[in-house]
Amino acid sequence: MRPTAVILSLASDYGCQVQISNFPEILEMLSTFDLGYWQFVSSGDMPDAYEVALIEGAVTTDEHVELLEKVRATASCVIALGACAATGGIPGLAIAGPVRGQLKEVYGSGEKKVGAGARKPAPISDYITVDFTIPGCPIDPAELSRVLQRAIRALVDTPQRQSMCGECKIAENMCFWLAGTPCLGMIARSGCNATCVSRGRPCTACRGIAQDANIESAYAFAAQNKCDADQFESLIKIYNAANEQATQKAVTSKKTAQEVVS
Amino acid sequence: MLKGSVMVTFPFDMKGSYMYFRILEKDQVSTFIEGLAHVYEVVAPVMRGGGYSFEQVRDGSEVELDYPLTIIPPKKYFVRPKECLFRYDSHSGALDETDHEVSPRVLFGVHACDINAILMTDKIFLGDYVDPYYKARRENTLIVGVSCMPIPTCMCNAWGTGEVSQGCDLFLTDLGDRYFVTCQSFEGAHILDTFAKTHEASAEDKQALEDHIREFSQAFREPVDTTQLQLLFDAKYNDPMWETIGDPCLSCGACSAVCPTCYCFDVVDELDADGVAGCRIRCWDSCLDSQFAEVAGGHDFRPTRASRVRYRFYHKFWAYPSRYGKMLCVGCGRCDVACKVDINPRRIVEALREGESK
Ligand code: SF4
Ligand code: SF4
Ligand code: SF4
Repeated sequence: MRPTAVILSLASDYGCQVQISNFPEILEMLSTFDLGYWQFVSSGDMPDAYEVALIEGAVTTDEHVELLEKVRATASCVIALGACAATGGIPGLAIAGPVRGQLKEVYGSGEKKVGAGARKPAPISDYITVDFTIPGCPIDPAELSRVLQRAIRALVDTPQRQSMCGECKIAENMCFWLAGTPCLGMIARSGCNATCVSRGRPCTACRGIAQDANIESAYAFAAQNKCDADQFESLIKIYNAANEQATQKAVTSKKTAQEVVS
Repeated sequence: MLKGSVMVTFPFDMKGSYMYFRILEKDQVSTFIEGLAHVYEVVAPVMRGGGYSFEQVRDGSEVELDYPLTIIPPKKYFVRPKECLFRYDSHSGALDETDHEVSPRVLFGVHACDINAILMTDKIFLGDYVDPYYKARRENTLIVGVSCMPIPTCMCNAWGTGEVSQGCDLFLTDLGDRYFVTCQSFEGAHILDTFAKTHEASAEDKQALEDHIREFSQAFREPVDTTQLQLLFDAKYNDPMWETIGDPCLSCGACSAVCPTCYCFDVVDELDADGVAGCRIRCWDSCLDSQFAEVAGGHDFRPTRASRVRYRFYHKFWAYPSRYGKMLCVGCGRCDVACKVDINPRRIVEALREGESK
C-alpha cells in the first residue's frame, strides 16, 4: 500500500508548490505516494489519516498553530518545505515590528477582520518537531526527491553543515567581496552549488544559516570590508529574521560574555 | 595513450647524452593547440567571469597562458568535484560503469606548482591502493607546463615546487615573444613534432632562458624558512596559536576546495526515484567541516574549529611528509586568496617559527 501524503501551505506565496509542479520527475516521485491533499491543485478536504505531511509557509496565525498541532498528531513524518517553513523566510521580515501596528498600517480599519489571531511569523519548527527540512527559495526539486526517498525508507538525512563559499569556489566564481559587494555565502547553509553566485547574484542565505556558521567571525569580516553590522544584519534578515543567533545582538552579547570571562 | 605509435629520435649532443629543447614562437601556439584539439580533449586556462579556470578549448585564441592562478587547480580532471563512480541496481546486483568518462586529454598550460601537486596526489591514488578512476584519467592525460611569475600569495619558493624535474611531458618557458620548450617524455616530443612548428634554440635563446630563471627567483616576496617544521609542529601542538588562528575559521571549505594537494573525498549513494537503482557518488570533502571527523554515535574527534584548522596543517606539514618525504603543499597560494580570515600556510609557518603574537 502506498503511504498517503498531504501538501499544505501556511503563510507563503505558494512558490515552492509551483516549483513542485514544474518538474515532471518530482511529480513522478510523488506518485510513490497516494496524494491525499495538495492545497495548490485540489479543492477537496484534508483526509483524516496520512503518513507524510509536506508543509510550506511560515506560521503567522493562531489558526496555523492549531493546524500544525493536528498535522503533527496525525503524520508520522513532517517535512518543512521551502524557506518560509524552514526559517520563517520572507514573512519573517515582519518579525521586527509590532504585528498589530503593521497590520493597521497596511489594512487600516480592516485590520481587526484581516488580522484576527495574527502572530509573530516563525518557522514551523518553533511549534512542532520537524523530521526533514528542504530549505531554499524556491526549493531544489532534486533535493526534494532525495529527501522523499530517505523519508520513505525512514533513513536520516544529514544536511551539509558547511557554509557555502566552498561550493562557490568549486563553481569557480570570483568572490563578490573582492569587488566590495556583500555576500552571505560564508554563513549560508550549503547544498545549492552556489546557484545564485554562479548567475551573478550574491548569496542571500535563502537556505538558512549553516550549522557550522561562525557568525561572529562573519560580522568581523564584513566590518573589515565596509559592510557594517547594521547592513550585514539587514541582509541576513531577508531570509533569517527569525534566527536570533544570527543577529548582531547575539554576536555582541556573546562577545561581552567572553570579555567578562577572559 | 600514444604508446606504440610514437616514433621519435632524440637528437644527441656531442657527448652522447640526449637533449630535446626547441623554440616555439608565441604566434604558433594557437595552431599547436588547435592541432592537438583534433586528437585530444585540450584543457587550458581561460578567462571566465573575471577569474581564470581550466576549461576545454578548441579555439587557441581563447587560451590565456600568461595567467596568475586558476580558481580551481587541474585536480578536477583527475577527481571530479562530484561524480557517479558507477550505477547499481539493488535488486539484481548489477553494476554499470560504462558511463565512466576517460578521454585522451592534454592539460595545456599548467604551472610548476600544480604539476608538483599532481605528483603528490599520485602518491595517494596510485600508491598502496590504486584508484582505478584516477589511474585511467592520469594515464590518458598529457601535461604541458608553462612558466609563471610569482604573485604576492605565491610561496613555492618555500617548498622547491616552483620547478619541474618530472611530471610533465612538455614545459614552456616564457621568453617574451617565444617559448623555450623542454621535452620531458617521448609523448611530449611526439606531440611537439606532430602539431607544432618549432625551431632550434640559439645561443641568444639560452641566454634569455638564464635571464628568466634569475628573474623568477628574484621575484618572490621574501624567503620562507621551513626548516624543522615537523619538530616545530610537535613543539607547538598545544600552543594557543591554534585558537588564535583557527577559531575565526568560517567552516566554509573554500581552502580545501581550491587546494591542489587536498584530496579527501566522501562517498554517498543516491537513489533514483524508484528506490531500486541508484548512483554511487564520490565528491570532494573538507576536513574543516564539523562532520568530517564525526563518527557513529556522535563522537567528534575534532569538535572545535581550531582543532580542525590545526588538523589540516598537521596533515600537510607532519603526516604526509612523514610518509612521503615531502610537505603536502606546493605554495600555490590559492587558499590564501580564498580564505576570508587569513588562514594560510605562510601564516602557519611563521607562527610555528615565531609565535602568533608578533
Ligand atoms: S562570499 Fe559569496 S561570492 Fe564570496 S566565496 Fe562566499 S559564496 Fe562565493
Ligand atoms: S595549502 Fe594552500 S598554498 Fe598549499 S597547495 Fe594547498 S591551496 Fe596551495
Ligand atoms: S580556513 Fe578559511 S577557507 Fe578554510 S574553511 Fe576556514 S574560513 Fe574557509
